[in-house]
Amino acid sequence: MSPADGGPSGGGAGRGRRWFRFLLLAYPARFREDMGGELVATYEARADAARGRGWIPLARVYARSLVDSIRNGIGERLHPARTWYRSRSLGRDAELVVRRLVRAPTFTLSVAGTLTLGLGAFAVVYTIVHQVLIAPLPYERPDDLYYVWRDYSEFFDLDRGWVAGTDIVTFQEAGGVIEGVAGTRWGGATLTGVTGERPSEIRLLQTTPDFLEVLGVQPLLGRGFAEGDAGEGRGRVILLTHSLWNRLGADASIVGNTLRLDGEAYTVIGVMPRAFQFAGHYSIGPPQTPEAFVPFDYELSTTSPGAGSFAAILRAREGTPPPVVVEAVNAVGAAIDERDFQGRGMKFHPVALGPDLVVEVRPALTVVGLAGLFLVLVLLVNLATLLLARAVEREKEFAVSRALGANRIALVRATLLEGGALGLLGGVGGAVAAIWATRAFVSVAPPELPRLGEVAVTGPIVLTVAAVGAVLGLLAGSVPALWATRTRLSSLLSASAVRGGGGHDRARRGMVVTQVALSLVLLSAGGLVVRSFTELLGTDPGFDPAGVLTLRVPIVDAESVADAEARHEAIERELGSIPGVVSVGAASGLPLTGGADQATIAVPGAPGNTGDPEADQPLVDQIQTRPGYLETMGLRLLEGRTFDPGRPEGPQDVVIDEQIASRFFPNGGSLGATLTMNELELRVIGVVRPARLWDVHEDGRPQIYLRNQGDYGYESLSYVLRTSGDALALAREARAAVARVDPQLAVAELRPMREIVVESLAEQRASAVLVSGFSLGALLLASMGIFGVVAGSVTRRRRELALRLALGADHARVLRQVMGEGAVLIGLGLLIGAPGVYAAGRVLDSLVVGISPTAPATIGTVAAGLLGIALFACWLPARRVTRIEPARVLRQG
Amino acid sequence: MDRPRAIRSFLPLRPVEFHVLLSLAAGERHGYGILQDAEERGERIDVGTLYRALARLADRGWIEPGASDPADERRNNYRITQRGLEAGRAEAARLASLTRAARLGGLLAEAAG
Repeated sequence: MSPADGGPSGGGAGRGRRWFRFLLLAYPARFREDMGGELVATYEARADAARGRGWIPLARVYARSLVDSIRNGIGERLHPARTWYRSRSLGRDAELVVRRLVRAPTFTLSVAGTLTLGLGAFAVVYTIVHQVLIAPLPYERPDDLYYVWRDYSEFFDLDRGWVAGTDIVTFQEAGGVIEGVAGTRWGGATLTGVTGERPSEIRLLQTTPDFLEVLGVQPLLGRGFAEGDAGEGRGRVILLTHSLWNRLGADASIVGNTLRLDGEAYTVIGVMPRAFQFAGHYSIGPPQTPEAFVPFDYELSTTSPGAGSFAAILRAREGTPPPVVVEAVNAVGAAIDERDFQGRGMKFHPVALGPDLVVEVRPALTVVGLAGLFLVLVLLVNLATLLLARAVEREKEFAVSRALGANRIALVRATLLEGGALGLLGGVGGAVAAIWATRAFVSVAPPELPRLGEVAVTGPIVLTVAAVGAVLGLLAGSVPALWATRTRLSSLLSASAVRGGGGHDRARRGMVVTQVALSLVLLSAGGLVVRSFTELLGTDPGFDPAGVLTLRVPIVDAESVADAEARHEAIERELGSIPGVVSVGAASGLPLTGGADQATIAVPGAPGNTGDPEADQPLVDQIQTRPGYLETMGLRLLEGRTFDPGRPEGPQDVVIDEQIASRFFPNGGSLGATLTMNELELRVIGVVRPARLWDVHEDGRPQIYLRNQGDYGYESLSYVLRTSGDALALAREARAAVARVDPQLAVAELRPMREIVVESLAEQRASAVLVSGFSLGALLLASMGIFGVVAGSVTRRRRELALRLALGADHARVLRQVMGEGAVLIGLGLLIGAPGVYAAGRVLDSLVVGISPTAPATIGTVAAGLLGIALFACWLPARRVTRIEPARVLRQG
Repeated sequence: MDRPRAIRSFLPLRPVEFHVLLSLAAGERHGYGILQDAEERGERIDVGTLYRALARLADRGWIEPGASDPADERRNNYRITQRGLEAGRAEAARLASLTRAARLGGLLAEAAG
């Protein structure tokens, strides 16, 4: 075999050579220079050999060479064959960057740390605000969905009232832009007979059969409701949520099986997907999530128009503008008012589903979001300060490199690469921090925060954060890069040689002032939120939660009121016999849970009546209690007495709160008065200070307490046990006591009263934690900024300061001077921040309770604290002047 | 490079790398000669693939450029180095043991004679 039979190419090869040369362009220049000639020669030899065999093999060589060059050209660019060649490209740059960053660990760590904090905070705030406030609800065309509420304001103070079943039917028949209307009603049922589970209560939502169609969702398994499922006497069917299905074992064969609810058999017809979470709204109070759906077992058209206890979800025709929907609802509402209320002014109003869901949390989230943004701003300023300082430090390095002939582009590239690498590092750190912080937030967040389950840092957010980090890093890297290129070489060299950097000073000072100003705003917001929270903790809620255990026992299959009452008595007796229980009571709703029905009352002939029917017939919260409840819960009796165990003949007893007493009987004497409610006559036997029913910080409506006996045989009561020790320690005994009465009874909401109080403050706690955390972060960053500026100034001015010392100034005086400069910056920042504090107070208005949003004492304290810490941050580096030895410094110069 | 990487860490070699070492073990060759050798062994190698392999092997110090071809000065002869020989032997040994295994496993007929 001969190694060489392809000699120099013959006549027809000129075209071939041009083609092969052209193909060389696929390869990187280095490879081309090195191997190009040989490559072309070899191709030519191959072509010559093929030419002898005809034009088809020749064409194949040409074609193949194209494919070959593309493949290997790209391959060579990605994986260069030679290491010397590799080392001059990106790889070498990267190596340099890493080396440089490792050499300046303080800088690297502070930039990466700043970015991690900033991007992490940004991601958390973005995630929460986005998921809760902005992300579309998981329904079809969610923007066309509305709740319809009754506006009772012509009758009493309630503008988000439940609608009646007949209202829903009327809206369903309306047509026009109203495409569909689903009715819902809350209920609960005791689930029994599940192996391995105690009887438990599940939250049920009764709905019209078109519920899923109106929302535009499909079940995961089985089917949704059909027209024939609703109404009286139909077979009972139930649709499970994904979470309840999971609790029952997540078995797909559950469809078609039966569940026992309140002793009745329900056929499971379907399971909803995990993504479907319906947060149904209460007319008052936070949204709730149902665990299962059942169709109404009666005709809505047969319900009483006066009984408002339903929610209506309306779907408008696609793309209908909201004002048109309002108009349509008003028109139907007017007809209902005419028909059922003789035109006395019952109004209806639609509220878009999304905004309606978040109406209660929007103010708090807005404040938290703004605080987060402020922190990010402070961080950005901090980052710029750090990078500027770095640029100045490297001024000399740049100058020397360039003087030695370094490529300007290469310098810029290296600097940008450094910024990008730092940014990416910070971005990844930020994303990781955000994932953790969001989980932490979800665990401290108020459980009634809508769509809390959906709050999690998602893949796209992680990518965004990392990318934003890299972009910020590149931007930040461009600061020193520009610094290096824009200045003329000679001035760069001389300036850095003479002064060791400068010119950036004003910018840095400006940044410190900005940071102090921003921090002041953020800190005062934090101070106010925290103050307001401690204020709330100290508020008297009107009852004594210490040592009280609560539990609710739904009695579902009582045959009569007397039967229910007998069971309540038995349960109460068993609970009372637990050792350590001091007293027992029961009520239809507990304080701070919003568990009450509303009714209008009147006190005919009372001196406080004004003649204005709205004022004289106030809407009150009515709570059914069993004797002993008021004492057990620790409500303060102001006048008269509470309920006796025995039920008196004649008019029912009622205990009123001081609001009602002072409204109708401004001069006292309410005891024994007669009060009417729904045509019932009630006799006032006592006056109490009300136990806050909705919020720790709001008085809310007036309250009346009734005896839960006889006519008011409520089926579901919450029991309260006052214990002599730790309430929770009796939880097991309490369960056992209920089971002794009837093992089929469910025990729901078993928890200490203290926990209910804590939970009711969860929203305030979350805001307080987040806002104060953000403001402390800002304080830390501002202090770092001040520290850096003063430290830099002291280093740079060593010679000048030494000279002053040599000329007779003592250390204390020089220290004062340096401190004075810092103090001026801090003072300026405080001055500039002051108007922002008032603006922040305005935003906080809806969130701050118990104190003025511009509480001077709080803001004064915060400002003084900031001043103190800032001065300390200034003093730490300034102290170094006392270590200057003039003689030595001057000699070095 | 500070220290040559152990030959073992390069195994198994890419087919094109083995063809280069195999050809050069018999004597100096230029690129086209290596291609022809490979074709005689029944394998067609793309020109770009070959020259990247040559650059790579030269970078490892397994082959080195020799004299230019007097007939066409663009053509460069290559020769194998001691390390290149070791690498080629290591790869050949690896292939041989694979072949033995294939025979034992029944994938390959017993060698005739």
